Amino acid sequence: MRVTTELLKQFGDISAKDSEYEKLIKEHIANVEYVHDLSKDYEGIVIGEIVEKEEHPNADKLGVYKVFIGNKRTQVVAGDKTLCIGDKVAYLPPGSYVPYTYYSDEKPVIIEAVELRGVKSNGMLGSEKELNLGPNHNNVFRLPQEAPVGEPFSEYYNLNDTVIEIENKGLTNRGDLFGILGIARELTAITGNKFLSPTWILKPQKKLHAESNCLNLEIINDAEALCPRYIGIAIDNISIKPSPIWLQSELVKLDIKPINNVIDITNYISAILGQPLHAFDYDKIISNDNAPDNKVIINIRMGKEGETILGLDNKLHELNDRTIVIADNSHPIAIAGIIGGKDSSVDESTKRIIIESANFDKNSIRKSSMNLGIHTDSATKFKHSLDPEMCLPALIKAIQLAKELASGSIASNIIDIYPDPQPLQKITIDIDKLNRHLGTSLSKDVISTILTNLEYTVTSSDKTFLTVKIPSWRKDIQLAEDIHEDIARIYGFDNIEIELPKKEIRPIRDNKIFELKKKTRKLLSTLGLNEILTYSFISPESFNKSNLDSNLAFKLKNPLSPELSLMRTNLLQTILPKVKENRDRGFKNFGLFEINIPHVKGYFDTEGLPKEEWHVSSIITNTQESKHSHFYIAKKYAKAIFSEKDQLIKFSLIAESFEQNIDDYSKATMNMFDPNVSAFCYLDKEVIGIVGELKENILLEYKLPQNTCAFDINLSKLVSTSLPDSKMKPVSIYPNFSIDLCLESNLDIKYSEIEDFLKKILNSAGSWGNTQCLDIYRDEKIPEKKRITFRIEGGENSKTLTDKEIKEKVSMISKKLNSKFGIKVI
Amino acid sequence: MEFKQKNLQKIYKELLQDQKKLSLQGLKKKYISKQGFISEAFNKISSIKIAERAEYGKEANELKNLYEEISQSLSQNKNIYSTREKIDVTAPFDFNTKEEQRPHFLNEIGTQHPLTKEVEIFTEIFKSMGFNVLESRQIDDDYHMFESLNFPVGHPAREMYDTFWTEDGFVLPAHTSTMQNRAMRMYGPPPIAVVLPGRCFRNEATDASHEFTFHQIEGIYIDKNVSLANMVATIKEFLEKYLETSLEVRIQPSYFPFTEPDCEFVISCPFCHKAGCSTCGHSGWIELMGCGMIHPNVLKQADIDPDTYSGFAWGFGVDRLTMIKRGINDIRLLRDSNLNFLKQF
Repeated sequence: MRVTTELLKQFGDISAKDSEYEKLIKEHIANVEYVHDLSKDYEGIVIGEIVEKEEHPNADKLGVYKVFIGNKRTQVVAGDKTLCIGDKVAYLPPGSYVPYTYYSDEKPVIIEAVELRGVKSNGMLGSEKELNLGPNHNNVFRLPQEAPVGEPFSEYYNLNDTVIEIENKGLTNRGDLFGILGIARELTAITGNKFLSPTWILKPQKKLHAESNCLNLEIINDAEALCPRYIGIAIDNISIKPSPIWLQSELVKLDIKPINNVIDITNYISAILGQPLHAFDYDKIISNDNAPDNKVIINIRMGKEGETILGLDNKLHELNDRTIVIADNSHPIAIAGIIGGKDSSVDESTKRIIIESANFDKNSIRKSSMNLGIHTDSATKFKHSLDPEMCLPALIKAIQLAKELASGSIASNIIDIYPDPQPLQKITIDIDKLNRHLGTSLSKDVISTILTNLEYTVTSSDKTFLTVKIPSWRKDIQLAEDIHEDIARIYGFDNIEIELPKKEIRPIRDNKIFELKKKTRKLLSTLGLNEILTYSFISPESFNKSNLDSNLAFKLKNPLSPELSLMRTNLLQTILPKVKENRDRGFKNFGLFEINIPHVKGYFDTEGLPKEEWHVSSIITNTQESKHSHFYIAKKYAKAIFSEKDQLIKFSLIAESFEQNIDDYSKATMNMFDPNVSAFCYLDKEVIGIVGELKENILLEYKLPQNTCAFDINLSKLVSTSLPDSKMKPVSIYPNFSIDLCLESNLDIKYSEIEDFLKKILNSAGSWGNTQCLDIYRDEKIPEKKRITFRIEGGENSKTLTDKEIKEKVSMISKKLNSKFGIKVI
Repeated sequence: MEFKQKNLQKIYKELLQDQKKLSLQGLKKKYISKQGFISEAFNKISSIKIAERAEYGKEANELKNLYEEISQSLSQNKNIYSTREKIDVTAPFDFNTKEEQRPHFLNEIGTQHPLTKEVEIFTEIFKSMGFNVLESRQIDDDYHMFESLNFPVGHPAREMYDTFWTEDGFVLPAHTSTMQNRAMRMYGPPPIAVVLPGRCFRNEATDASHEFTFHQIEGIYIDKNVSLANMVATIKEFLEKYLETSLEVRIQPSYFPFTEPDCEFVISCPFCHKAGCSTCGHSGWIELMGCGMIHPNVLKQADIDPDTYSGFAWGFGVDRLTMIKRGINDIRLLRDSNLNFLKQF
């Protein structure tokens, strides 16, 4: 939304310096994108008159002109040979800036006196583009004949002004601020003054007398639900010509291209009031249509499938039954509120016009504009909800200007289809509640002054309440809280004295998973791994590469690209390429981990939403050659993550447990792991993680060395089990014994079975003991056996064991091991 | 190589051996890819002498049948298929592992990601101020993302959020506000004080300062008599603790459907103290976050009576603050997992 300080001053009573406008808008209305002080841009540029014209001796395309600039004549070479003696131009003397270059990316260009192919050029004659007034760069910009020679160009062209661009985002719910008048109203109130809308807005004169032959015009609204108001009038005797300089200048400053007087009038009023207007060529409609009796029928209706319209943008638009159109008796002549039709547009030959001032449903315009891909100023305004009450004032003002600037005469009644005007809404404000809500202590008077300054009407009040009538244009005001915002804004957020809340002292609730994640992050980064964050989106190909099923992945309806169209079902999937990238960078020994949520389709939580569980997943890669499985490195990390809960976790070889109780997530994940060198981690009967080596094809795919291991642990499941606080056992006061035991067992007996059994024996009947594995040996010649050496430390709670008793204990242990597992103690 | 029956028999034997050694993919490559043994065998059929051709064809077919049999049985057992010898996963290390080769943690210096570090710092401060912590979902529904936040269907402000949708109609949160309603229900009735960190997504092109994946932290505080003055003071208190400096703050109007009034929280630049520097774009001020008083409709959606209670909410981007604090000039580095970057933190 662009405004100029001069227009704001024209409509508002703003007690502030021009230079303060930006700050006031930022602090009280919405963010400002930029401010341009135009007066500086045109310094030194004066109006000149061509008094002599010569051919350039050395260049065909250049003209040499003598320009009179009030006090002297000077010579300028220009790339435009079409200038005639007597033409008025904008002369840029040496030392002045080219206004356009202020806004281009490069440094502003300063004019210098130069020789152009041997002819001296003392300055420049500006084109429309160089003067930043429009796009034309082919010709020197010509000024009207009455332009005063020698006067500053900026004064004649009303360019001593400042342009302020306000961010539309902050105005999303404020359709009324898409007109300069709305911003002027706010600034008036912000600076403590009362805003008064002009009479032509508050009390528009509807009864107008036809001043010439009546033109036949009928309006039929078949889309009342989406077009609450439609007003039209016919105007005759139009004389199309360029607008006067003041109007062109206003439009240029507002970044609207001047076209001709009629179109400029509609655009100007639209900019001031925020109410878009449209002008149709009456005769073009008559000649294109097959309506009887030389009558123009304006029909507001929904489009029809198959209908098309050539827009003012010179594009053919396909219409449908969800788009409101303005049609004549047979075809659409405009897409309502969005764009006019070329075939009924006003041009140089136009003599009679119809002016439309209407209100359309914001949602309908928003959708149509989006579906058709047409983004016009008019559509932007309608999208933000406009006030049907503004239709009439806008039309009246347009008629007045059409008479003044285009010699038009009224040729019909005002036809106003407005079946259901809404009464003004009333809202009661509780003064005390307002002050509690804002943390202020504003008196009723202060509040009521702010509101009346914004043209709310106070209808009744007592000590504690204030009832106000909401202005018709404030579509955003529905609740008392909306009015609180107006008070806070106008009073000034920064004038509110801040104060910390008075809060009850109470402990917060635990968030165990958040804390576990934090702990895991600290732990793994301390143990040499690097935390990464990768995208949740991934390509369909990635699933094949990592043995996963893309059918289990959530698919995006509107992905950024096909490579980012699915959601990962496993964190390892997105860690894998990152391991490869870092290896390519030259890193060889490292581990990456991510703590995040993988998403698998088909699982829902108690809210009926996709189940979300936190996982920690990691890949560790190493160049160190080893014939031993890297499973054991991953296991070491996993046990560190399980920490005190490790005692509840059982590791089970995938190849030997794949038929057991395995959830679908683990079933899918196990396809990434080599089943003979990887394990499920069971907590009770549930798999909470997978640890081990990745399958060969995955390693090949990502060019990872054999010495790579990975784990994927469900932290949400881990956290849901809690260990009771452990209780003290008797502390022995007698010395410990320590012996090393070498056991020979069959290969198929699991290490943990032996160790658990040992511990059980050691910790029974008044004795205690710990084991430590010193070695596991397998002789290639006896591959069906293995030898495990344990160091056993222990003791009795009630006495010191003698050497003899220790021997007896060992023999007891070996007997029990033998009878249980057939193990021999060597 | 000239293909004869002798070759076929050799291949047959090799295949029988390979089924124990090679993965399904390896077998595919070796036997039925374009230059695979079996493909070659069939390609060469025309070069075989006519007299031998019938016999050759028969054996080639047998070879092919064997391959199919093996590949079928392998793919059925794909999950458990392995060429490796089984290990005892309950042991602390493998057989015959020498002492110095026993499994150990990496002898490297690890790192925590700068973003998660920052999230932890933020939540720690808010916890010390009495705020609970609840993390945001990563897939949510329309109700939480929009409707419960006073964006009814068709609300134009929905367009301000370039939201990703899944094909089954779920929404990927474009802001952590998606947790507001849930947090109010979980921690209600008031007083309610919760911070809500989380990963968010927006469907926008990526460049040095825009990411389609980013982190936000939302906060809500609801009680009797909670005011806008309380909001400004609370956020200021947090920021001064975080930035370890005293700040000047400004509040500017903004627009969010779920707050009324809606504000933008602006602080004096903590790096140049308003002198103007590159971090604040030489303005001396930094727009840090959106905030506002929770809209009565949002409270009602969580069955909280707006006539009795009021509250405030705020939300800010973790990425941007981390970048400002660490001097990171390209947001894409945060999710690139480049160890040259990560090892700096």
